[in-house]
Amino acid sequence: MAIDQRKVAVFAGAFVLRLVLVFLFPSLPDLLTGRVEVSTPVNSFKRLQEGLFLYTRNVSPYDGGVFHQAPLLLPLFALLPDVTQYPLPTALFFFGVDLVNAYALSTISDSGQSVKSRLHSAMRKHIRWDGASVAAWFLFNPFTIATCLARSTSVFTTSGILFAVSNAVEGNSINAMLAIGFASYLSLYPALLFVPVLLLCYDFHAEKSKQSLNTTVFVLQHTAIFLGSLTGLLAISCLITGNFWEFMSATYGFHLLVPDLTPNVGLWWYFFIEMFDSFRAFFLGVFWLHLASYAGGLTFRLRRQPLFIVSSLLGVFAIFKPYPSISDASLYLALLPLYRHLFPLMRYTFFAISALLYSSLLGPAFYHLWIYAGSGNANFFYAITLVWSLGLSILLADFLFAGLRDEWEQDHPEAQGKEVKQV
Amino acid sequence: MALKSAIRDLRNKPDLLFLRLPNLVSLVCIVVGVVWLLLLPLNEYSRRTYISENALLPGQVHAYFTGSEQNIFRGYKREIEGLLNEGAEPPARREDTTLNPTYVEQQDSRMAYMVDVANMSTEYPKKLRSILQVAGLKVATQKYEYTSAGITHQGENVYGIIHAPRGDATEAIVLVAAWRTADDELNLNGVTLALTLARYFRRWSLWSKDIIFLFTPDSKSGTQAWVDAYHDLHPASVQPLPLKSGALQGAVVIEYPFEHRFHSLHIVYDGVNGQLPNLDLFNTAVAIASGQMGIGANLQEMWDHNDSYEARLQTILRGMAKQGLGYATGAHSSFMPYHIDAITLQPKGQGWEDEMALGRTIESLCRSLNNLLEHLHQSFFFYLLMESQRFVSIGTYLPSAMLIAGNFTIMAIALWMRTGYHLRSAPSEPRTPQKEQNPAPVTEKTEQTARISGPPVVERLLALPLTLVTGLHLLGLVPLWTLNTLSHQFFTSVTYTFVVVDVVLPLVLAALLSNGLGLFSPIVPQQYLLIKSFSLLLLGLCLSTLATLNFSLSFIIGLLCAPLSFIGRLQGLSAPLRYGLAVFGLVLLNLLSPPTILLGACWYFGVSVETVLTQAAFGWDVWGMWTQVVVWCVWWPAWLIGCVLLGSSVF
Repeated sequence: MAIDQRKVAVFAGAFVLRLVLVFLFPSLPDLLTGRVEVSTPVNSFKRLQEGLFLYTRNVSPYDGGVFHQAPLLLPLFALLPDVTQYPLPTALFFFGVDLVNAYALSTISDSGQSVKSRLHSAMRKHIRWDGASVAAWFLFNPFTIATCLARSTSVFTTSGILFAVSNAVEGNSINAMLAIGFASYLSLYPALLFVPVLLLCYDFHAEKSKQSLNTTVFVLQHTAIFLGSLTGLLAISCLITGNFWEFMSATYGFHLLVPDLTPNVGLWWYFFIEMFDSFRAFFLGVFWLHLASYAGGLTFRLRRQPLFIVSSLLGVFAIFKPYPSISDASLYLALLPLYRHLFPLMRYTFFAISALLYSSLLGPAFYHLWIYAGSGNANFFYAITLVWSLGLSILLADFLFAGLRDEWEQDHPEAQGKEVKQV
Repeated sequence: MALKSAIRDLRNKPDLLFLRLPNLVSLVCIVVGVVWLLLLPLNEYSRRTYISENALLPGQVHAYFTGSEQNIFRGYKREIEGLLNEGAEPPARREDTTLNPTYVEQQDSRMAYMVDVANMSTEYPKKLRSILQVAGLKVATQKYEYTSAGITHQGENVYGIIHAPRGDATEAIVLVAAWRTADDELNLNGVTLALTLARYFRRWSLWSKDIIFLFTPDSKSGTQAWVDAYHDLHPASVQPLPLKSGALQGAVVIEYPFEHRFHSLHIVYDGVNGQLPNLDLFNTAVAIASGQMGIGANLQEMWDHNDSYEARLQTILRGMAKQGLGYATGAHSSFMPYHIDAITLQPKGQGWEDEMALGRTIESLCRSLNNLLEHLHQSFFFYLLMESQRFVSIGTYLPSAMLIAGNFTIMAIALWMRTGYHLRSAPSEPRTPQKEQNPAPVTEKTEQTARISGPPVVERLLALPLTLVTGLHLLGLVPLWTLNTLSHQFFTSVTYTFVVVDVVLPLVLAALLSNGLGLFSPIVPQQYLLIKSFSLLLLGLCLSTLATLNFSLSFIIGLLCAPLSFIGRLQGLSAPLRYGLAVFGLVLLNLLSPPTILLGACWYFGVSVETVLTQAAFGWDVWGMWTQVVVWCVWWPAWLIGCVLLGSSVF
């Protein structure tokens, strides 16, 4: 296999940049680990340390009520040397995960699935970025770098999702199912991506195979693999922790019931702080239903472009998840350049990006005013998280518009280049 | 109907929409922003101060600090004067480690800095310790040392705690007396008064908060070392505190650096990085001083404030200058970052108020703080004071800085749109120059692209502008690092070097840029607009964020950067005219560059550049001041890009 020099340069550059940042600013990782924008209760490295401490001393990691991450992370991190004394191995491990994620992303890009799928072929195929550029966009995104330096465990979920997609577009549907199972095991919400990833796999096989594919068998097979992988992971977790229900309620129960209302960049915490307890259960249901409903709707509407469904859903998750962080936004932004050919159709990129830039500067400032200076209050920060979500929503809506317009132009070649008018 | 047709006309005239209108709107924003600030002193836009926190009850108690306490005061003063007469040097010393003794002897002006470490007196801490211990306080000391710009600052803090008879040691008030005041005078009466008050307060049973008496060698570093250590955030060169109390609720700094009686109280309230104490604390001090004690209160060194428009505006502007520079204006400033509201009381002028009156004021102030049930939070944290009893709150003044910051954003958006809609405005222009952007440019497909992308939206070449803008902002770290690391004697020469660099660098960059920095394909006109757009976007972003943290700094930098909105690469002029204009513009811009402004300001106020930069480095190292970051990583890059764009008209 010929080694792509540009890709190597990008990967090496990203690695060196991270290394330089760690060496020049030794306190930066710990600073970022403490930021609410980066670390949420479900991906915080600090909380992982707490769980690890309990785990290595043979106490149930969930006893303190602090750790809410999947148990399989514990034996993995127990292998790494103590981070307080030797921070470098852990840092290098996270750098590696980032590079692996970028590799998966470049594979997705090189497959060309984003411009040409079984049922759809984009109108502007020639406007494209190659894998190296897409990987560079991901690796040099400040949000990705911050997530990586903060050692947020979201990167593993990101890996799971990206590998599920990259395997699916290359036809390794079993691996794809295993990867999406792994991601769902870690963070629960990727389970909503199961159907689009299944569609990706199905489209690949349907295109390649000579005779027609038996849909029912295919779906049943892959669902079984997905569920099997989940069951396997849960069984191992059960062996590790020893108490099935305790870890289920501390991890998935925590994801579902949102008991920790530490501020984050999402929309849930403030809403549920303000809520009277009697309405809590109802609105939890509403919020989750709202989040889950996108999976159905988008899958139905965008059936012809399964990868586009995955990308859009990741955007939805980055906005409406109970514990979103900038790592979710960075994953969504990483998938956007796959759709470089849609950029000419997008109308509000500059405004959306400006809103995101404004909120990423004003967010920390207002958080500082609220928590440290004491001269602001929670509303300051919440207002900025609204702007952040608004920026992402504009971007997502614009992206969806561009995707739909592209589909529409394919169906109506005569209407190409005409301005859209509301009738 | 007229409006509708006007808008329709606008749509059909992109020239007007993208060239003239943004300039006009930006200009209007700046003008309105400045006028807005000028309107603030008027009665219609400002408000009278009021006490928001009812628990404070300023001036509602009788202050008993009189009579026989004066004898105690005299006794303590004699004891301390005894030490002075014995020749022990008063504390507070700075040692210039970079100068050898012989050199120092030649430099009389430096003598004040020169301190013989061997002779370093331990008499003063010992004396204070014994007095406080006899008065019945728990006493502890703390040594500290800071090094900044090659100068070592060291000293020893002494502090005593009165445990509240009615409290549970969860909250405390701090009274600070520094041996050297903020103006570097010997604060003999202040220290003595604090000692007398310590003894006096000890005998009261009504305190529900602990009272901490802190004696620091100087007003710059002592309180910083103490308050850092109080919150366990001190560097290694600072000793931890052996004795602590509860959460600090407020701090009052006492200064009385002269022997005569005073006329009025000067209240200093600015904190590091422009943070301000809760307005209630200031109001309480004013209410007690002028209402209860009948002593006038001044602020911002406005000794004869006649409440005219000019005086009010001058007070606001002085407050803004201090806030914008963000340095510590007194020993109280170090408390502010920890959300501890603090002020300094300075007696000023010739009058008939004596130290007992100051003592009563402080007693009454402590009684008010003692009443607090919760941390001061009711009143404003963001305000501009124009007189001791008149202020504007953030809601009223913030728009002026936001408008100025907004002008950059408006211009950035306009430039972005202009780069995108260029085709429509000039349909006859060849399309190829704007179409070469794709990483794999395929010229034969260009026509097809133009057809498919339909609406006249032009692809933008983002790589070069993004790289340049990011790179130049990172370049700002170089002067930032240099000026905070070098030893102080190099500061003047470094400043002049930067002036020269600022003249040469834009021209070099502009020349390089004309062939795409050698990395990219040759630059096209669109990219100049994009560079300006990104630079202004970032400037607007940073300034509007800054406006919420430090209004004054944002306003000042915004004004200094205002020309950047309107300059760019000159086009469509004859060569001699273009060269002339570009050179003229560059000269003007260089007069507005950060180092030139620094030199100009230093010349105007008659201080040496070295002093200012030493102070700035000290602020960075000790106080956590980040004015420099804004100057070098926000203002300077934006300015540089402006110059590069103007300079590019020559190439």
